[in-house]
Amino acid sequence: MIKAEGLTKRFSSLTAVDHISFRVEVGEIFGLLGPNGAGKTTTVHMLATLLKPSEGEAWVAGFSVTESPGEVRKHIGIVFQEPTVDRFLSGWDNLYIHGMIYGVPRGELKERIRKALEFVELERWAGVLVKKYSGGMLRRLELARALLYEPEVLFLDEPTLGLDPQSRAKMWEYIKELRRSQGTTILVTTHYMEEADRLCDRVAIIDRGRIVAEGSPEELKRKLGSEVIYLRSRKASELIDELREAGLSARMLSPELIALAVSSATEAMPKLFTVLGNLIKHVEEISYHRPSLEDVFLHYTGRKLRDSEADAADFIRMVARVRRW
Amino acid sequence: MGFTSAVAVMWYRQVKKFYMAKPRLLGSLAQPILWMVFFGLGWSSTIRGPMARMLFHGLDYMSFLAPGVYMMSIFIVSFMSGVSVIFDRQFGYLKELLASPAPREAIMLGRVLGDSTVSIAQATVLLMAAKALAPGISLATLPVASLVGFLAALCFTSLGSIIAFKMETFESFNIVNTFITMPMLFLSGAFYPIDTMPAWMRHLAYVSPLTYAVDATRGLLAGYSHLPLAVDAAALLAAAAALLLLSAAAYKRATVG
Ligand SMILES: Nc1ncnc2c1ncn2[C@@H]1O[C@H](COP(=O)(O)OP(=O)(O)OP(=O)(O)O)[C@@H](O)[C@H]1O
Ligand SMILES: [Mg+2]
Repeated sequence: MIKAEGLTKRFSSLTAVDHISFRVEVGEIFGLLGPNGAGKTTTVHMLATLLKPSEGEAWVAGFSVTESPGEVRKHIGIVFQEPTVDRFLSGWDNLYIHGMIYGVPRGELKERIRKALEFVELERWAGVLVKKYSGGMLRRLELARALLYEPEVLFLDEPTLGLDPQSRAKMWEYIKELRRSQGTTILVTTHYMEEADRLCDRVAIIDRGRIVAEGSPEELKRKLGSEVIYLRSRKASELIDELREAGLSARMLSPELIALAVSSATEAMPKLFTVLGNLIKHVEEISYHRPSLEDVFLHYTGRKLRDSEADAADFIRMVARVRRW
Repeated sequence: MGFTSAVAVMWYRQVKKFYMAKPRLLGSLAQPILWMVFFGLGWSSTIRGPMARMLFHGLDYMSFLAPGVYMMSIFIVSFMSGVSVIFDRQFGYLKELLASPAPREAIMLGRVLGDSTVSIAQATVLLMAAKALAPGISLATLPVASLVGFLAALCFTSLGSIIAFKMETFESFNIVNTFITMPMLFLSGAFYPIDTMPAWMRHLAYVSPLTYAVDATRGLLAGYSHLPLAVDAAALLAAAAALLLLSAAAYKRATVG
């Protein structure tokens, strides 16, 4: 339903998206997971024909984004990262205007607005000015707006950015329900691990404009071994040689941090003592846990993503973006 | 993606927004009324008698001023509505509009028509009130004056949005106000006649479409105009056409995201 091949975007000297390729099947919820500035938004904009790729090509709903952007646009819905509602109009008016300028058949428009508002449970707020909506309601309104055209493909750019956990869970419900009832193909970007894990069928991890890993959340986690042991030591470089000699899959995460991918941490731990022998006294800290996508990210990029909870920084960033635009 | 439905719905948006913001409506009505009352009554009791009638081409000062204030109200409301594109950009709404498959000219035109409708409606209410202070003006020609007003409103909403697309931030707003709005008002002949201005001011005055708009409405409502109505109308038509085209070009150039 979506296919990208060598998609690239350069802004003067900066390569925001660097030859990425992926496929999204019909009815799939596909996640683009990556930290700030990874190139998620730029990718979405190219797929939604709002930005011209510098190189490469992509097809959405069977149409080329470079050759027939008009056709692509007829088959997609998009929720932008930053709010794009008219705050001084009611929710209903926002949907009505959207429907009209996006060419929803006039005879059906009112019925579709009613259904869309019902779907996101905002019927009772239809007549209220949007500036009085909470952040979660605002996002739901934007989702409803993107649904008016009954798109085959839906792009959601960080749909839960800055929302509290309840509102976020609610948004996931709507997204899943949409796929179930309409079979909509959904591409969602996020930097929340938990979101990618719980919501997406498949995930591509994107970092500095490149896709570093791709697969279902389970596959990605399994690739790391089922569990990870972390060793902190000032002599990490000496330790890692020993560990590798013993045939363990060890990676240096930072000058003082080693990650060991093992099938079972509890069984591997005693073996560690044997392998390291005398060196064990240089180990300052041992911890282990079942891998999350966070570890997958760490594994492929050597860097931490970010906390999985929405925080104040998110909000500030969001506001700053709104300003910038 | 019908052109007309996009125009219609943008018209709807501008009018509805205005209707939803009632305090603003009162505010922008109050300002020109205050001008009429204080500026108007202040001067008309200072400059009076046959001398004044000569200065103002046979009119008393209130009758001279009222059409000027009517046009001032149209100018300010429509110019500011045009500039408010910058708010749409700031709040992200411009992205929603520009990302749509609707022709951008249609979006621009609908917006301009909506804003112009609003400013005419407001100015008409104002003129009714002004009639009480300036009994010398005639409302019989109001329909024609409204047409002139509408042409002027098309000019100034377009001008406002052209400028807004050039502005980077809200801060430029004050600069625009000081260096465009104020000089255009003072040069327009709304408050004092143009023919007694120093030559350089007079030349400048005839560059601004507002001058022709004030002259035409004064001719229609108070019975005196400096230029023939046809000349004023032609100047306004030409300006409206040029500014609409430029504004459409600015919408087309604007980038999304
Ligand atoms: N219009 C632009 N001009 C120049 N550089 C840009 C532009 N848009 C994005 N960039 C740069 O491209 C890179 C990728 O940006 P992008 O917005 O796609 O990242 P993102 O993954 O969406 O990040 P975030 O989580 O912050 O939204 C960033 O370094 C950004 O500064
Ligand atoms: Mg982004």
